[in-house]
Amino acid sequence: MIQFDNLSKRYPTGDEALSNINLHIDAGELAFLTGHSGAGKSTMLKLLMLLERPSSGTLLINGKNINRLANRKIPGYRRQLGVVFQDHQLLMDRSVFDNVALPLQVAGQPRKEIGRRVRAALDGVGLLNKERHSPMMLSGGEQQRVGIARAVVHKPRILLADEPTGNLDPTLSAEIMALFQRFQDVGVTVLIATHDIDLINRMKCRIIRLERGMVADDGGAYGSSL
Amino acid sequence: MAQASNSRSRRGAVGTTTGFLGRIRAGVGHHSHTLQDSLKRLVKDPLQTILTTSVIAIALSLPATLFVAVDNFRQLGSGFESFSQITAYVVSNATSEQIVNLQNQLKTLPEVESVSYVAPDQALEEFVNSSGFGSALEYLETNPLPPVFVVKPKVQARSPDQAKRLMVKINQMDHIEDAQLDMLWLQRLHSLTQIGQQAVVTLGTLLGLGVLVIIGNSIRLAIHSRREEIIVVKLVGGTDAYVRRPFLYSGVLMGFLGAIGASCILALGFWWLGGSVAHLSDLYTSQYRLTGLGIIGFATLVATGSMLGLLGSWLAVSRHLKHIKPR
Repeated sequence: MIQFDNLSKRYPTGDEALSNINLHIDAGELAFLTGHSGAGKSTMLKLLMLLERPSSGTLLINGKNINRLANRKIPGYRRQLGVVFQDHQLLMDRSVFDNVALPLQVAGQPRKEIGRRVRAALDGVGLLNKERHSPMMLSGGEQQRVGIARAVVHKPRILLADEPTGNLDPTLSAEIMALFQRFQDVGVTVLIATHDIDLINRMKCRIIRLERGMVADDGGAYGSSL
Repeated sequence: MAQASNSRSRRGAVGTTTGFLGRIRAGVGHHSHTLQDSLKRLVKDPLQTILTTSVIAIALSLPATLFVAVDNFRQLGSGFESFSQITAYVVSNATSEQIVNLQNQLKTLPEVESVSYVAPDQALEEFVNSSGFGSALEYLETNPLPPVFVVKPKVQARSPDQAKRLMVKINQMDHIEDAQLDMLWLQRLHSLTQIGQQAVVTLGTLLGLGVLVIIGNSIRLAIHSRREEIIVVKLVGGTDAYVRRPFLYSGVLMGFLGAIGASCILALGFWWLGGSVAHLSDLYTSQYRLTGLGIIGFATLVATGSMLGLLGSWLAVSRHLKHIKPR
């Protein structure tokens, strides 16, 4: 589903954020991306979201090379992704419902369909009773769950998450991770960038560790190879 | 879990099954939703909205007022066309028989309403009385003035073109030295009106540019304050057109409201001046009345305002959206 071939990313400043990355993530797989700050996790997610373009190498999504995707096709590509942000990027001037509805609205879905799907997504993260609230009235964990609902409301095939548990306590973090596992169960490819080593070690999933822009480890648990 | 309960739904939003009609309905729904949203934003910040629309209204009302003024001036001019007359100078050696013949000939022309004859002696007497050269003129041995006919065209032949044709016709008749149309002042009025129309165009262009700048600036501020929202919309796959749309609607609404405001200003001025103009015109026993913008003028003003709004917001959006990442 996601394939990096000899991929490098050099910024105009001369810093090489990623060098010669070779990775393959299968459809329906849940993988964690870890490493120190500046190891290249964010750059990898940015490349996947087409916020940045690679300097060399190829990036295949579902068999398609997205390196040379025309700018006008970027919105269509992004609609296939679901993205959860560390700072959740919710719009505080509108309701929880309207926040979750955004990906469907930009895709031009009919209103009835939007209502049905938004409620299903909110039900999935256990926030159906909060649809009329403002995100400001919710706790940090609830806000992140709204962010997840928004990321999955349009049923993406790939779900990306950047430090989704960064600001949450361990119990809430475990809940959020369990939520991601449920999406994996229904066939979504999930890639999560995180620092939370303890938590992901307990989850027995694939862990990719980056170090100075290179893959240092790719295995079942932190420190051990498959 | 509603997500991905069957294989079709796994294809994501791109592959959702919505019919063509459903898409159109969704599109229309989206547009009306965006329009409502833009209206709500205008209402939410009433002070800013009132300030911006008043400035636009004043800027639009200036050329519109000048346009109405020129239009009225032109109509006043066309009323004076009834005074156009042709002066025909007869050759000075014409016999009185020839003069009588000429007068009958002129009277039978289909375009002519009346002909009056001014004999050279009579003309000289008038000139002596009115010019103040009386004593100097006494030194003249002979009367230098020719016999003159003053020809008044019929009502239907009084337009400048028709009067000119009649003048040429008279000029070609026997024993006529020269025929002149007393239209110089009408031509002056006409060229004054033209200058007025050019002033409308110049002022309209300048103030139109001003309106573009005003709308562009407030759209720039709106883009700035909605920056966060634009980023999120782009991250979830919103197209540039989707991001642009609410700003374009805001621009059109501002231009539209400004044009309505300008019409109100004009209507107010019309109401204020109309009474006194009617009174003045009654004193001159004239039927002349002020003409307002009219329904077509109003429609043009509103369309112009809305178009300026669209153009201004388009310029601002295409300039400032580029600077917001992600693309």
